[in-house]
Parts: sequence; structure tokens; C-alpha cells
Amino acid sequence: MTFAGQLIFAGVCVGAVYALIALGLNLTFWATRTLNFGQGSLMMLCAVVAVMVFDGGFNIYLGLLAGVAVAGVIAAATEAIAIRPITRLTGSMGWVVTTLGVGIFLQGFVSKFFGSQALAFPSFLFSPRDYVSVLGVRLSAQYLIILVIALALVLLFELFQRRTAWGRALQAVAADQDLAAVMGIPVRLVVTLSFVASGLLAGVAGALVAQITGTVDAAFGFNLLIFGFVAAVIGGMGNTWGALLGGIFLGIMEKLVGGYVSTAAEQAIAFALLMIMLAVRPEGLLGEKEFVKV
Amino acid sequence: MLELKNVSVAYGSIRALRGIDMVVQPGKITAVLGANGAGKSSLLRAIAGIAPVTEGDLLYRNASLKPYPAHRRARMGISLAMEGRRLFRHMAVEENLLLAWSFGPRRTPFAQAVRSVYDAFPILGERRTTKAGMLSGGQQQMLILSSVTIREPELMLLDEPSLGLAPIIVSQIFDFITAYAKARGTAVLLAEQMAVMALRVADHGYVLRGGQVVMHGASDELVKADIVSKLSAAYL
Ligand SMILES: Nc1ncnc2c1ncn2[C@@H]1O[C@H](COP(=O)(O)OP(=O)(O)OP(=O)(O)O)[C@@H](O)[C@H]1O
Ligand SMILES: [Mg+2]
Repeated sequence: MTFAGQLIFAGVCVGAVYALIALGLNLTFWATRTLNFGQGSLMMLCAVVAVMVFDGGFNIYLGLLAGVAVAGVIAAATEAIAIRPITRLTGSMGWVVTTLGVGIFLQGFVSKFFGSQALAFPSFLFSPRDYVSVLGVRLSAQYLIILVIALALVLLFELFQRRTAWGRALQAVAADQDLAAVMGIPVRLVVTLSFVASGLLAGVAGALVAQITGTVDAAFGFNLLIFGFVAAVIGGMGNTWGALLGGIFLGIMEKLVGGYVSTAAEQAIAFALLMIMLAVRPEGLLGEKEFVKV
Repeated sequence: MLELKNVSVAYGSIRALRGIDMVVQPGKITAVLGANGAGKSSLLRAIAGIAPVTEGDLLYRNASLKPYPAHRRARMGISLAMEGRRLFRHMAVEENLLLAWSFGPRRTPFAQAVRSVYDAFPILGERRTTKAGMLSGGQQQMLILSSVTIREPELMLLDEPSLGLAPIIVSQIFDFITAYAKARGTAVLLAEQMAVMALRVADHGYVLRGGQVVMHGASDELVKADIVSKLSAAYL
């Protein structure tokens, strides 16, 4: 495969992970109109917990399960302590600071107890040397499985949201909490569950990325959160297909710039795209302008 | 069915209702009349559980409602149609009905329940895939009312279902409410500014002013007491 082809393939795969992160942000955005900027640390935490359990002599899958569960619980706790009290003061944007604060606290906590050294993350899905031949083209098995998992989760989520009563309840809570409540929807529970789900998604995304990088440290996740955020904005905040499109677009741009210009420019390209998008089309590629109440 | 005892509602320091006593009976339509800001919506929202009750008690089937949050009250058979065209505007007509039905008691299968809605309001059937936000005002009001009836409530709280509608549509909607309540024994609490219209269908009425009940009684007594012109004087 050509160099450009390889870059694009890698870009699509990491882009699908950005889409997962963006989806996690979308979920909490729907439920509360806020974003959990501590999600980067949840990705890190999931990977660190998985490594700890694995190093303790247990199965890596058990470790991943524990890591994802911890991420889900902490996401729900973040909502209860860092978001709910703040949004009661109507119109307050304080959640930007408090959710970021939770993230920084988790980072500090991990570097205090596990040191700031990078921990080796075990290969659980194939090894970096495994290849799959598709139509005579050799593709990295790890990248491919990450793409499949991320795509499957995005599709499942879209189905859940459109086809189930609870998915519609989430849309209802996003649109009008009082109306949802008088329709019999347990609004608090829906909000808490969406934070749990966003934590689970962050955990899965963290594990998938740690799989590629091979190591985790306390700072892991912060850049990823930024890429996920940019993906969400490019696609249109709150739009599932937009998250996927935005993530993959961003992934490809990142890898092409990294491959032809410099890997140091990968971050710059994310911010450049964010700026262009906000200037040209703030509602995102697939976003709709919000329905205004007449 | 529902009994309010000395109920007060306040939003922070703004007191919207003071010491309301009220009785709502099954199979009967009880009107709540009053000018803008009299406290009609606050009363209905307090019963539904989305306005802060600061004093008094609300008894529903002889038990206090106070421990129950709004969604639990909704499942106990209390259903509120809010004022101001509140529906899920980005969802289609049928999606709105499905959502209302999904989190209700679901006594009737959805296919059958939705058919009786379309029988009552054929225009909603014709526009079942239209986004609710794209409907006309009258059609939106029909959908809001249907989102309540599809839950087969025991107590319906209707907040100004006539607002901004042509008289012909208002009578259609009021006729539907009357027929529905009589046929099923549903208790109806109807908040209205249009006292003439409301008293024509209601059995009883309460008149609110400045958050207090200033008069109540059977509809014909209220008509005799010339409540209609007194209310229009209050608008000025
Ligand atoms: N969410 C709120 N926050 C603060 N004050 C409120 C709120 N809702 C209502 N009020 C106040 O409570 C009082 C009663 O309002 P309410 O909406 O119950 O009256 P209403 O009889 O329904 O009026 P309308 O006919 O205009 O709908 C008003 O003085 C209003 O300003
Ligand atoms: Mg009102």
C-alpha cells in the first residue's frame, strides 16, 4: 500500500476513536447542555486501572472491565458533584471549571500513586505485528479491530437512540426537562445514566488508544479529549453521524499532516480546523440550527 | 379524587399562590378561572410536581402527593398539558404520541391507542410523520391534548387549551374533553381565561386573583354571579 494510503487508513481508525470520544461528549451535552471536560482523565483512568489489575496477575479483560466500570462510576459522580450543583444557578458556566478540575484532580491522583512514569499497556487485541490481508493489501490488525469496535459502538448507539423508548427519553430530556417529567420520564435517572454511558464510552476509547500507543501515563487522555471535542464541533455538537464524520475527517487530516509535514503539527491542525469550523459553520457539518421556541 | 389543603406556591421570593383549598371530582370538569398572572399555571404545575409547593398538602386518592416527584405522579395517573405549545417540536406527531404512551401505564396497546387518537382528530393521522413544530397552532393543541389522553389518565390538568385558537376549533376541543371525561370518569382541571367558554363545559369553577381563590361554586352559580364581566374588568 502506498504511504498516503497507509496514512489515510490509520487516520480513519484513530478518527473512529475520536468519534467515540465525541459521542461521549454529545451524550452529556444532550442530557444537561454541559460538557464533561474531565473525560480525558476518565480515558486515562480506565487504562491505568486495566494495567493495575493485569499487573496484579489477573486477566487483562477483567482489568478492562474494571477500568470501564470505574470510568462509568466516576462520570456519574462528576455529574452529581461538579455539574448538578452548578447548573442549579441558572445560566452559570462554572461547570467548565469544575469538570476540568475533576479531570486535573484525577491526573494528580494517578501521578501521585503510580508515578508520572509511563506504564506499559498490554496488547489484548492482536499484537502490533499482526496483519490482515484485505484484497491483497496488508492492514494492521490492531488498527482494523479498533475501527470495527468504534464503528460498532457508534452504530449501536444510533440504533438505541432512535429505536428504543429510553433513547427517545434521552432526546426528550435534551429538549425539555419539565415536559419530559410530566410525561413520566425519570429525568434524574436519564441524566445519571447518560453520564454513566459517556464514562463507559470514554473508558473504551481510552483502552483502544492505549492499545495503539502501548503505554499510559497521567497526562494521557488530555490531547484525546481535545481531538474528540474538535470532532464533535466539526460534525455538529449533539449529532451522532456528525461525530463519526468529524472524527474520521480529523483523523485523516491529522495523519496526513503528521506524515507529510511533521507530527508536531498534528495538534495545530486540530485547532486550525476548530477555528475554521467555528467561523464558517458554527453548527457543524451535519448540525441543525436549534429549533427556536416561537 | 384530588383535594388541595391550604396550598401555597412560591418561586424564590415571588409568591404565586396562597392558601388554596380546592376539590376536584372524578367525571367532573372543574374550571380554574383568572386573568394573566392570577396563578392558574402555577396551580396546575404544583399538582403535576414541577412547581415548588411551600405550604399545605395535596391529597390524591386520599394520599399525599408531596413525597412523589413529577414523573411518579405522571405514572399515578396525573397528566398535565402545559401552556405555551409545549411539545417535542423536533419529533414527528406519532413520535410525540409514542413517547407519551411509552412512559404511561400502557393499558392499551400502542397501535390501538394511536388509532383512537386519529379517530378523534383525523388531521393528526394525516400528518403523523410531520414534525410537531411544523403543525398549525390548532393542530399542536390537538396533539398536546392527545399526548395526555393517550396516557389514559385519571386526572387531566389542562392549561389553556383554547389559547390563540379560532372559536370553531375551541368548541371542537372542548366537546372532545367533555365527552372524554364523561365516558371514562376522568377528573378534569381546566385552567382558562375564556370564562364564558369554560363555564359552558365545566361543572364547577374556582376564580383566582392574585394567587388566592376569591370565589368558587357550581358553574351556573358563577354565571349568575356575573363572574364573566367581573373577570373582564380584572383584565383592565
Ligand atoms: N418560573 C417562575 N419563576 C418566577 N415567577 C413565576 C414563574 N412562573 C410564574 N411566576 C409568577 O407567578 C405568578 C403566577 O403566574 P402563573 O403563570 O401561574 O399565572 P397564570 O394565571 O397561569 O397566567 P397566564 O394566564 O398569563 O398564563 C405571576 O406573578 C408570575 O410572574
Ligand atoms: Mg398560565
